[in-house]
Amino acid sequence: MDQKLEGTPKATLQLAGRKVTSSEVTNHWGTRLQWKVSRDGREIAAIGAGLDLAYEHPETTPGKYEVVLQQFHYVNYKKDAAGKFTESKYINISEPVSYTI
Amino acid sequence: MLHIGNENLPLCSGVNRRSFLQAGAAAMAGLTLPNLIKLQAAGAVNEKKAKIRNCITLFLVGSPGHLDTWDMKPDAPDDIRGKFRPISTNVPGVHICEHFPRMAKIMDKVALIRSLHFNSGASHENGQRWMMTGHDFNSANKQPHMGSVISRVFGPKGDLPASIVLPAGIGNTGTSTPHGQESAYLGSAHQPFFLGSDPARADFKVADLETRAGQDELRVDARRTLLKEIDGLQRTVETGSTLERDTAYARAFNLLTNPETKKAFNLNEEPAKLRDRYGRNTFGQSCLMARRLIERGSRFVTVNQFDTVFGISCWDMHANGSSLNNTYADYEHVLCPQFDLAFTALLEDLQQRGLLEETVISVISEFGRTPKINPKGGRDHYPSAWTNFFAGGPIHGGRVIGSTDKIGAAPHDRPVTPPQVVASIYQAMGIDLETTMLPGPGGRPVRFIEAEPIRELFS
Repeated sequence: MDQKLEGTPKATLQLAGRKVTSSEVTNHWGTRLQWKVSRDGREIAAIGAGLDLAYEHPETTPGKYEVVLQQFHYVNYKKDAAGKFTESKYINISEPVSYTI
Repeated sequence: MLHIGNENLPLCSGVNRRSFLQAGAAAMAGLTLPNLIKLQAAGAVNEKKAKIRNCITLFLVGSPGHLDTWDMKPDAPDDIRGKFRPISTNVPGVHICEHFPRMAKIMDKVALIRSLHFNSGASHENGQRWMMTGHDFNSANKQPHMGSVISRVFGPKGDLPASIVLPAGIGNTGTSTPHGQESAYLGSAHQPFFLGSDPARADFKVADLETRAGQDELRVDARRTLLKEIDGLQRTVETGSTLERDTAYARAFNLLTNPETKKAFNLNEEPAKLRDRYGRNTFGQSCLMARRLIERGSRFVTVNQFDTVFGISCWDMHANGSSLNNTYADYEHVLCPQFDLAFTALLEDLQQRGLLEETVISVISEFGRTPKINPKGGRDHYPSAWTNFFAGGPIHGGRVIGSTDKIGAAPHDRPVTPPQVVASIYQAMGIDLETTMLPGPGGRPVRFIEAEPIRELFS
């Protein structure tokens, strides 16, 4: 019996300055949550979400920053030669928020 | 006075437990075969008198590596300490893996045992037998699961089976030897009830609780009546097997027709927010169901986190590139977070409902994993040292019992064995292991377990 993660986790983000705070996650799969940070469309960081579900990215390089909350969607255990999942991956569970430096 | 459940064993005064056991029991105790059978029939003791605590056992099938979870060695060489880092907890001096941040906040409720070990084979099934029964054995001399022992001696508290296994029994973990989750010589009436389906699924149903198509309650009752009449014709001699089968049938009929027992398995009665707090996955929802079942009268619920180690993400981190290809990625992204969420939710939930003092939580696994990381970046089976833990009931949390050496290869002090863990579970449930006996093979009263509980858990 392999676990099958059903439903869609969802969270709502709020932005205050550069600090992002998330609501509680509904339909929480229990897998790891992370903040994905992009600048000018390119991913620059993926940081494990702490229990307080708040994050402020420390970089101040000018650009347009976008932050979104993601959760690991386990589909199956298949992995590549380096031991990394091939079909299971992080998915966005919130709408992104953005700010410009 | 020795007793089986609430039935006292009539002994001559002055006979103590040791001499009783040496003499070989039944005859000396004055128990003839008919009386033994009556004792068996009366084995379902009056639940109002049996004041023992409940137990939820979380069985981490596949077995987490101790060096990557609860006995970390950050100062060990690269090829031993592993990828993860320890974090501090709310107990000064106690550190656990960074991927258990919620658990780190409640370690004052948890008693870690870091010096578990056994010296026989390193198969999953060997570890399962040890940890589920306190014994090693083969198919010819099976020993009963702890839940079956509780069922036999104390009986059910209400309409739910005394012992339930969620979400499913252990299947293929490598060999075809017993897993230690059966009633063995205690008989089918004390077999755990195996849920057999995934409570996290939207289409979850308990197959055994659904009448088959074309049958309704009237038909089920009619069948039960017919069965009784047939039995009445044959009932010239009451035998143990007849009574045992009756109890099993009664249980099955009750589960099938009693709306309250069916409701016990209905997670849709729980608030969505609470279901989220446990995690919408098989393990999390099984832990929530375990709480419901304890709340509604089951005595001993075992949650198998997995029912196999092949082809799924589980703790069995061989990283072998094929069907046992679990790696650090599984631990980091799936297993540790899911465990952290569900375990802490269970403790929190039990405490909020006033059930934690009356419920022992044991978190156990088959063995540890090799201190030296294998060439593929994983760890293999290792029964020479590992960590399990307890919470709830009379367990004194905030402590670490035993330790391993600098690389987690062997107990450094206070070595602990599986029978002692099992003895501790029984003691934590409130069972006096000195005076409470169990009907052993052939009905001869035997001690629950030939081991002493881990005293540090209780003092």
